[in-house]
This record gives sequence, C-alpha cells and structure tokens, in this order.
Amino acid sequence: PDPEVVLKMGTTAPEGSSWHQIFKEMGEKWRQAPGGGVVLRIYPGGVLGDEPDLVRKMRVGQIQAAALTAAGLSDIDKSVAALQIPMMFRSYGELDYVRERLRPTLEKRLEEKGFVVLNWGDAGWVMFFAKEPFTTPDDLKKMKLFAWAGDNDAIEIWKAAGFQPVPLPSTEILTGLQTGLINAFDTTPLAALSSQWFALAPHMLDLKWAPLVGATVVTRKAWEKVPREARPALLKSAEEAGQRLRVDIRQANDKAIEAMKTRGLKVLPVTPAVEAAWQRAAESVHPRIRGTIVPAPVFDEVKRLRDEFRATGGKTAGG
Amino acid sequence: MTHEILAGTGARRLADRRIAGWRALFHRSENVVLSAALGAMAVLPVAEIILRTAFGFGIPGSAGIVQHLTLWVGMLGAAIAAREARLLSLSTGAALLKGPWKAAAGVFSGSTAAAVAALLGIASVQFVQTERDSGNVFIGNVPLWTVQLILPIGFFAVAFRLWRHSSYTRRGRAVAALLVGAVLYLVARPPVDPQHLVVPAFIALLLATALGAPVFTALGGAALILFWGEEVPIASIPVETYRLTVSPTLPTIPLFTLAGYFFAEGGASKRLVRVFQALAGWVRGGPAIATALVCAFFTSFTGASGVTILALGGLLMPVLLQSRYSERTSLGLLTACGSLGLLFPPSLPVILYGIVSHTPIDRMFLGGFLPGILMLLIVAWWGAREGARSGVAPSKFDAGEAWRAIREAKWELVLPLIVLIGLYGGFATLVEAAALTALYAFVVETFVYRDLTIRKDAPRVMSECGILVGGVLLILGVALGLTNYLIDAQVPARGVAWVRTTISSPLVFLFLLNLFLLVVGCLMDIFSAIVVVVPLIAPMGEAFGIDPVHLGIIFLANMELGYLTPPVGMNLFLSSYRFQKPLMEVCRAVVPWLLVLLGGVLIITYVPVLTTALPAWLGR
Ligand code: NA
Ligand code: NA
Repeated sequence: PDPEVVLKMGTTAPEGSSWHQIFKEMGEKWRQAPGGGVVLRIYPGGVLGDEPDLVRKMRVGQIQAAALTAAGLSDIDKSVAALQIPMMFRSYGELDYVRERLRPTLEKRLEEKGFVVLNWGDAGWVMFFAKEPFTTPDDLKKMKLFAWAGDNDAIEIWKAAGFQPVPLPSTEILTGLQTGLINAFDTTPLAALSSQWFALAPHMLDLKWAPLVGATVVTRKAWEKVPREARPALLKSAEEAGQRLRVDIRQANDKAIEAMKTRGLKVLPVTPAVEAAWQRAAESVHPRIRGTIVPAPVFDEVKRLRDEFRATGGKTAGG
Repeated sequence: MTHEILAGTGARRLADRRIAGWRALFHRSENVVLSAALGAMAVLPVAEIILRTAFGFGIPGSAGIVQHLTLWVGMLGAAIAAREARLLSLSTGAALLKGPWKAAAGVFSGSTAAAVAALLGIASVQFVQTERDSGNVFIGNVPLWTVQLILPIGFFAVAFRLWRHSSYTRRGRAVAALLVGAVLYLVARPPVDPQHLVVPAFIALLLATALGAPVFTALGGAALILFWGEEVPIASIPVETYRLTVSPTLPTIPLFTLAGYFFAEGGASKRLVRVFQALAGWVRGGPAIATALVCAFFTSFTGASGVTILALGGLLMPVLLQSRYSERTSLGLLTACGSLGLLFPPSLPVILYGIVSHTPIDRMFLGGFLPGILMLLIVAWWGAREGARSGVAPSKFDAGEAWRAIREAKWELVLPLIVLIGLYGGFATLVEAAALTALYAFVVETFVYRDLTIRKDAPRVMSECGILVGGVLLILGVALGLTNYLIDAQVPARGVAWVRTTISSPLVFLFLLNLFLLVVGCLMDIFSAIVVVVPLIAPMGEAFGIDPVHLGIIFLANMELGYLTPPVGMNLFLSSYRFQKPLMEVCRAVVPWLLVLLGGVLIITYVPVLTTALPAWLGR
C-alpha cells in the first residue's frame, strides 16, 4: 500500500539534473522507510516558482519541503548567508570545516522559524564574468554589474563599495548583455553554462568570490506528521544524498569550465597581488554585511572558525 | 469611449453616475489613489533612468516599489471595476431571461461570484498572516505584510460590490447575502468529505458563469474548489496572485496600457487613420490595406485589449462603406483587424507570454515580427481582393496630403522608436522603456496636441486605464492560482509523459497542438489562456525540440484566431457592440477572414524559419 504521508518538495534545480536524479533515488528509499514510509513528490525546474515563492508555499502549507540556495534560505533566516560572505573562504576545505561546526547554530535558528534541515549542499563557487577582459576590482568598478532585482541590501553594499550594480530580473540578463545595459555578472560556472550567459560575457576571472551554498528543508509541521520511527532513516538517506550531490556538483563545475573553454571562454588568471586587492575590496564591505545581510554573532562565529582552521594548518585540506 | 471595453452586463459610464454625499467622496478618493499609484509607476522608472545615466546611482528599492504599485493598481482597479459593475463577463445568459427569472439569475450569479471573492479574501488573510509571522521587510522599517494587505482588502471590496450588484431590491440582496453565508459555512464545515462536493460545486459555478458571473470568479472558483477538494490550503491561490502581480516585468502591462489609453483618448485615432489613408488609400483595394495597417499599428500599443475596434471602428467604417465595400466585408475586416498587431512590440500578450514561459521578451518580439507581417499581409491582400471585386475605382495619390498627414501625426508615429530604442538601446530595462512610453504619450497628448486637459481628462483617462488593468490583473492573478493547482497535481508532467508515449513525430505534435489551441481560443480569452495553458504546453514543446520562441508565436497566432471564434471571442462581442449588429451577423461576416488567417497560422506553424530567422540573425 502507498504510504500515508506525502511530502511535496519544490526546487529550482533543472529537471533531469544530477540533483533531480539523486533526490528521486532518495525518494525511493523514503518510501521503504520503517513505519510505512513517506511519499516524496518532487517539483523540479522551478515549476512552482522561484525560491521566495517556494518558501511562501511552504509557509501556507501547499508544499512541505524545498531544496533551496542561500537566496531562499535567507528568507527563512538570514544566518545562512554567513556561509557565502565574499572572500571569506579560499577552499572547499575551509567551507566544509566551518559549515560542520556552524551547523548546530544554523539548524537551531531555522528550527525556531519552523523548518527542519534534511541536508546541506553547495552549488559551486561564484565567479565574475564580463564582456571585456578585466583583473582588478577597479576594472570591474567601471563595468555595469548585474544585481538581482529586489535584493536591496546587496545592491546598496555593491554601491557602497564603488561598483555599479544594475538591478534586473534574471530573465533580462541575456537581453541586458546584448544591449549593454549590463556587461558583467557573477554566478557559478554551472549556471553560466546552462543559462548560456557566458556566451555574451566570455571572460571569467579565476577568483573564488564566494561559495553558493544550499540546504534541503522541510516544515516542522509536516515533519511531525512523519512516523517517529521513520525519521532517522529519512535523515540518513537525505544526508547520504547531500554528500553524493556535493561531490557531484563540485566536479560538474570543473567540467562546466572546461566545456565553456572549448566554446570560447577565456579564464583570466589571478596573481597573488590581484587576489589581495580583491580581498581588500571584499573586506572593506564586511562591516556592512555584518548586521545587515548576516546577523552579527553568526558573522563573527564564521570568521573565528575560519581563522581557527587556518591557524591549525588546515591548508592541506584545500579543495 | 474606450472604457467600455471590459464592460460587464450592467455597464454604466463612470462620469454619468449620480450619487451624493460621503459615498461619492469615497468613490472619488478611490479614483484619485488609483491614478496616483499609476502615475507613480510611470514617474519612478523614468527618474531611475535619468539618475543612473546622469549621476550613476538610482533610487534605493525603486524596482520593488514599482512592482508593488502594480499590485496596488491591480487590486484598487479591480475594486473600482466591481463598483462600476464592469468586471469582464463572458456570458450574458441572464439577459435572455425575463421578469422574476432574470432577477433570480442575477441573485444566483451575483451571490456565487461574491462568495468566491469573499473566499479569496479569506485565503488572502491567511496568506498575509503567514507573511506577518515571517517578518519579511518591504523597504526600511516597513513590514512587507502591510503592503500585501491590499490583497484581502481588494477581494473583500470586490465581494461586497458583487453582492450589491446582485439585485436592486432589498429582498434580492437579503437572499443573496444568505446564499453567500451558506456557501462560506459549507466551505468551513463541510457535512461530508469535500472530495464528494467537488462536482456539485463545479456545476453551480458553471451555471453562475453562464448566467453572467465575472470571468475571474469562474477561474478563481475553479481553483478554490480543486484545492479545497484535496484539502490543500486555499491560501495557495493568493500566493500566486501575489507572485504574478509583483513579478519584475509585469509593470510593463499597466504602463503600456496607459500609453495606449492616452493615445486612444487623445486624437491619435483620427490622425493615424488620415496618415494610412493618404499613404495606402489610393491604390485598388487601398482602404482595406490602410485599415489593416492602422489597426495593426494601433493594436500593438493598446495591447490587444480590444481598444482598436472601439477607437478606430467608428472612423474606419464610413471610409470603407464610401469606397463601396459591402457592409458585410467591412464588418468582417474591422472585426478581424481588431487583434492584427498582436505580435508587434510592445504588445502585451507577447510580454505576458515571455513572463509566464521565461522566454526572453526581446527574442519573442524579434521572433514575432515576420509572422506578424505575414498576418498583416494576408488580411491586407484579402481586403484588397474584395475591394477589387466590388469595383472600387482608385483615387490618385496626393503627396501633399500624405506629407501634411504625416507631419500632423509625427509625434505619434515615432512612438515605436521610443520603445525600440528603450528595448534594444541598452539604457533602459523593459519596465523603464514602458514607463518612458507612458510618460511620452501623456506629454504628447496633453502638451503637444492638447487633446487632453491635465486637470479633467488626464485623471479620468488614468482611472479608466486603472479599471481595465485591475480587471485584467484580477483574472490573471486567480488564473495563476488555477495553474498552480494543475502543477501541484502534476498535470503538465503527466501530459508530457503521455504525449511522449503516444506521439513520435514533431509534425504530428504541431498539428494536434494547433487543434488544441483552436479549442482553447474558442473557450478562453488570450490572457487567461497564456497563464493557464502555457505551463502545460511549454514542457511538451521542449520534449519535441521545438524552439521556445517558435512555440510562443504559434501559441499567440492561434490565440489571435481565438478573438474571432465563438463562444468566447472578444472581437465578436466588441464589434457587435460597436457597430450595433447582432452577434450572429458578425460571426458570419468574419468567417472568410478567419479562414485566411487560419492559413497564416498554419504557415507560421510549419515554416519555423519565419520565426527563428530574426532572433538568430539579430540575437547576437
Ligand atoms: Na474565441
Ligand atoms: Na478568445
């Protein structure tokens, strides 16, 4: 017989992507969980809307779960944005170290807002792409940089740092690049490839600006309807799916860069001096991020953990 | 005259209403708030362009403000449209009845509609409550939920006014109030499993719609019944209404409509008719060609909302009759021309299609250009042929008259340039280009031509536009709620799976798609069809490897036919209303035009290069 509990899960990850595949397999395991199991119904490709819409639909109770990036998670609790502070992390090793130790804090804060975390993931490093070659922050300041319409805090911070953000809906990025309304944007290699934006801005700076992190969450209300004996099994297969996905997506981003290179992408190298200049540019706005985009105590905790990792010689665990 | 476009059964002119006291004051202040919100929508983006270009900075959060102004304009406009009994209804079934039957039909359809609106209001309250708990912020210290409050306020106002219009007797209203109360009670405390009440509820809704309940209650009621039957919270509907009305590109719809309204209510119609008449009227069959050209030009700006027939019909009919076109040919031509410019920028259906299907809008416009020209040529050719057959003697080309006509209309003729420079010039977003167009139309009609006065005409035109926009956005918002149910029930995914296993050839798929869309065009208006049907067919098109722009143009071209097909054919209604002809006569007159246009749709469908050539050539 079909399990009684149905969990509907939305995401903007594309249909048929490795994300979709891994979650379908997870759903099969959920169905066989003890206590009658759980049906997982997946809505991929953003058919239920963008991330803020998915959060709203969880809140009103139309769906029960969603796989979100920090964009959607920040609508629940701002603390998650702490994992993508620009130039805070140099490697996946640093990110993984900090995230593992910060998890209890983040999960507790999300739980207080009514959401249970099933797993954590990331979608690659956010890099800068532009129509013309560039290297330093000053080069980029001369360009018109895409910014998410509605992301007012971020837009103000870009402006304060001396950049020229142009707020646009993502559907107008291609047009904007064609007409010159914008000539630069930042996103992960995977997204740049699948959206074809790179074709109009074929210069990518080899600089890990910030990781794009995400998590799968389920509403506490729905979670409490899941049979108690099934919950550990569900969490376990979700955790496994998260780990598989992390490996998969990190590789996929490297492959995406190679694929774009064969189609004309120029990767612009970064010298230590240039990287230091980007570091200074990012750190000059850290005080503004702290307290607006990221709650101050969480910001401080991330910085402390990162420094702890660097001090204990974690450089060998780079990624 | 144009404000009758979406006139319901009990249409009355805004200015003709004679009501006194505090109610009149309240009504007037409602209109003022609506006009002010619309005005701010036009001014803010233009200020943003100027500040960004001249000083390199913008107004903090201006895009968000404009998006939420759209929500306010939509809900306020809907409330006023309900007040004036001008919400779009697709049927006038009650008009066929007499005496007490007619009154009973009014009470039944009115109370059903009011109950649906009230339930949408309750659903909105639930939605706004969850937003309040979430602590989302609009701008600065303003919580987002305070801005969203307009949703329940709007729906409750619409409900109240639908109830008031359900009857003009005290007893009728009392009965209607009881019926509304009974429905609300039944929804809250269903005596049996709601699943078993879905079918009876649908029958009641269908009957009410046939008797004249507005379109939005049919779509919103269907969504309510379906969600309620599966015990999914009905707050899922206003979530979608909110999502649509604040989507980043949607402000273009009220803004281009506003431009079209300034245009239509100023003297643009007569100036443009004169230009195209002078340019094309002198050749054999020329008056028909001129008619097609001027209608296409006009429709692209007025957003295919039907304004064309109302604004130009009265001017063009005498021209055609004078040129010895038969009454039937003239009637058919003008009806067919009412939606002819649908594929040209900045036509609203194209923009809405782009929003709903996530297709870049500039590519849609590039893709639609040649197919739009094809449809235009087909109508002009058929018209010229009819003209030649009736033996109309050509006059002579008068260069002086043509020059004078162009000079007189030059400010209106350059309007497409503003849109194109805005769209493709790289200094404005789509919304900003739309705001610029609206502001330009306002300045031209009030200060250059002085056809409109600032103090009297401009506010009137703006609230008329707001009412039209509100009526349309209300329909779209609840239609998206219905779409949300279909997606929730995984209908598109199952449809794709079914089509994939049953059909293998893309050509067969396209043929069946045309058939399906013809039926959709018969039954739905273009805007609801885009919102409800596009999410169903877009994944199928993708599965068959059909270019998304091509699919969009096929869809829109089919919907262009839908304007001319009964039972729901907007142009048929408008033509019958404008030219005072029975609906049957209009239907007969339009048949040959429908057939030649169908030929055009088939060419567009099976010659994809017509659509894909321009985006491929200019798209890089
Ligand atoms: Na029709
Ligand atoms: Na139609």
